[in-house]
Amino acid sequence: MKETNEQLSSLIDNENIDSKSLDALINDKQQQAVFSRYQLMGDVMRNENAINIDISEQVMAEIAKQPTLETVTPIIANEPTPIKADNNVIAFVKRFGQYAIAASVAGVVVMTSFMTSQPVVENSGIEVLNTVPFGGGASPVSLQASQKLSKQALQDRHERLEALLKDHQLQLQVQQ
Amino acid sequence: MNERDLDFQLIQRIQNGEQQAFTLLVRKYQNRVANILTRYVRNSGDIADVTQEVFIKVHKSLPSFRGDSAFYTWLYRITVNTAKNYLTSQSRRPPASDIDAVEADSYDGSEALKEADSPESILRSEEIKQVIMNTIDQLPAELKAAITLRELEGMSYDEIAKIEDCPIGTVRSRIFRARDAIDKQLAPLLEE
Repeated sequence: MKETNEQLSSLIDNENIDSKSLDALINDKQQQAVFSRYQLMGDVMRNENAINIDISEQVMAEIAKQPTLETVTPIIANEPTPIKADNNVIAFVKRFGQYAIAASVAGVVVMTSFMTSQPVVENSGIEVLNTVPFGGGASPVSLQASQKLSKQALQDRHERLEALLKDHQLQLQVQQ
Repeated sequence: MNERDLDFQLIQRIQNGEQQAFTLLVRKYQNRVANILTRYVRNSGDIADVTQEVFIKVHKSLPSFRGDSAFYTWLYRITVNTAKNYLTSQSRRPPASDIDAVEADSYDGSEALKEADSPESILRSEEIKQVIMNTIDQLPAELKAAITLRELEGMSYDEIAKIEDCPIGTVRSRIFRARDAIDKQLAPLLEE
């Protein structure tokens, strides 16, 4: 007994931990009681006002009540969920799904014909971003922007382009 | 946490399914956890319940404990979080600052509890402290030195052997004899 307790004393101090003494300690209630008292001595020495409680049995009883990891059924991601064929709700959803697909196809056909029948809107010339909305026909965003002003701008741009071309032709003639 | 550490050995066993090893972790740390909780939980009747909750949380989280920090540091964090959750459930504010894990060991929570504790339990706690301190006081000098250097200074047997200029085996024996002498006085008191 004395030898066992001496081993227990050094085991508490993290000196000479061998699995045999640890096995004995884990399985022997009497040794565990000695372990608790040795621990209490240290607690009181470090802090004279240390609290002394023993809840080890309640904790172990509570843990025993809880499901262990082994009993938890793993969730397999690839496993398909079985569907019952005679389920009325599923049958209804299936039929409704077929109608929904048919309606979507009809919608796409109507939309496509609508787009092709729309007049081609003149591109503003900006290559970076096409601001003409899906379905055709753009309306002015700014209250100050008017159709007249944009036509004016287009004319200005044409004039600048013609001027640049003329200049280029003149330069070519000079080089020849 | 190194492999020579008792906590490490116990955690490994628990992680390998040896649930009974957990009782030793509870026995080792229950008083320290309760002492930390006194800073947050003013009702002494709730201390044991919240301590139990802490250990149940620890048990649940142990499979994911990798040992990057010391077990006590990890346990301390769970204790403080559980205490704060307890205060929230009681619609009370947690203290503005937390004490750290080292301070927590010497934190005097008994004063806070004395107001609500029963006279019998206060008397019993006082008796336990007196028995331990009086027995240490009466120990031969070499035993007193060995147990003090170990428990208060946290020195290893090797370090104590160098200071006391004696073999490690003698240190081991002195520390055990000191504990054994205290235990002879303490055990009858706790078994009452």
